[in-house]
Amino acid sequence: MAPMRHERAAKALLLAAIAALLVLGGVPLYRHRHFALPIVSGPGVTRITRLGDFCPSLKGTAGDTTVYILEGREPGGKALLMSGTHANEPAGLLADIIIVENAVVDQGTLYVIPSFNNSAGRNTRPGDGYPLYFDIPTDWGRKRFPMGNRDASPLDQWPDPDVYVHYPDRQLLSYIDARNSNRTWPGRPDGFLMERVTFAAMELMRREQVDVAVDLHGAETMFPVTNCIVAPEKSSKIAILATLTVKAAEGFDSHVEPSPPGFRGLSHREIGDHSGAAPFLLEAPIPFLDQPTGPKSVKLLLDGKDPFLLSLAGKKKLFVPYDASGWPMDKRVGQHLSVMLEILRQYSKKTPGRELIVKGVPRYADVVKNGAGRYLHDPAKADPRSVVTD
Amino acid sequence: MALVIMVAYYVLCAFLAGILFWNFIREKESREGLWLSLLVMVPLVLRLLRVK
Repeated sequence: MAPMRHERAAKALLLAAIAALLVLGGVPLYRHRHFALPIVSGPGVTRITRLGDFCPSLKGTAGDTTVYILEGREPGGKALLMSGTHANEPAGLLADIIIVENAVVDQGTLYVIPSFNNSAGRNTRPGDGYPLYFDIPTDWGRKRFPMGNRDASPLDQWPDPDVYVHYPDRQLLSYIDARNSNRTWPGRPDGFLMERVTFAAMELMRREQVDVAVDLHGAETMFPVTNCIVAPEKSSKIAILATLTVKAAEGFDSHVEPSPPGFRGLSHREIGDHSGAAPFLLEAPIPFLDQPTGPKSVKLLLDGKDPFLLSLAGKKKLFVPYDASGWPMDKRVGQHLSVMLEILRQYSKKTPGRELIVKGVPRYADVVKNGAGRYLHDPAKADPRSVVTD
Repeated sequence: MALVIMVAYYVLCAFLAGILFWNFIREKESREGLWLSLLVMVPLVLRLLRVK
């Protein structure tokens, strides 16, 4: 132990250094947690509500989030579109915002929740070197989005259990999945925060008699359940028709994966088992989430290009075709939009009287050609009454 | 129950941070001891400030 010669000066210096460390490290995290993402309510939005309106115990918590309602001129079917269940898979968030800002519903009703796990959207993964934000180029400048995490923040839901016991099936899951809102379906009103989030969404679907529920995700290229629609038995016919149609008409793959009945807590399983809605979980490949990549940079998040994945593709270790063009964000957003629209179209064809007719939403080729930013509106130029910050 | 544990955890954080700060004040001999006290305090202070 080195003896101190100038005790007070040394202590003051050390305190100043630690205070600087706290401020330099803490302020960016604080700002990220309180970042306000402006969304312009487009011409199709007729009402805006909160998820907490469907579960009083969720109101005022970090789990509460905005629900955009787009009602058609004519009654028809109803669909719930969710993204941000895993807030580190942001193509879904962009796809849902494009719908909120552009879609017009002719028949039926859309309920859109862009930041389903609002707490996870304000969390990050510093140990993996996640960027706090990413920017999407638009016609009017760059729009900034927060990069979230897979799980809710421990500031909002704590303590974690040693083992997460799923409700109501009592299946034993990893402790971390207690903060994963795609393991807590169907939820309960007096459970922990993520259970209340999923319970509120279940209540929305039951009270509003929602027909179709779409949950947007992203998955690693090395994970077998990627580039696909995960569907239980009740949704599988529509999922198959959607996948065949996008392949034939738009030229991209999105195969169908069955929802395993024995794996509980997931949206594609529990929504169908606990409501009348037909659930679909869409997975678009996101190289950023793969483990053997270079730095987790904004560039990798946006262009999906990585030399290590390219090498692995040459060894046939990936579950999607992968070349030097990567798997860019625009492609992923376009896939989500086209598959979603196709699911709604196929459901409408098979269910007379419950049609869902949506206009104004770009499809895969449009987004790949023009970029997702082309369809994002400038909140500074929009009517302030139509701008919602969550 | 979770709320009780949450409050207990914050009380524990404040207590440990206080002890560490007190050790820091009383430390007269070791510069390494000062560093260690402060570094161990960082996550506790961040948690108390609800930053991370």
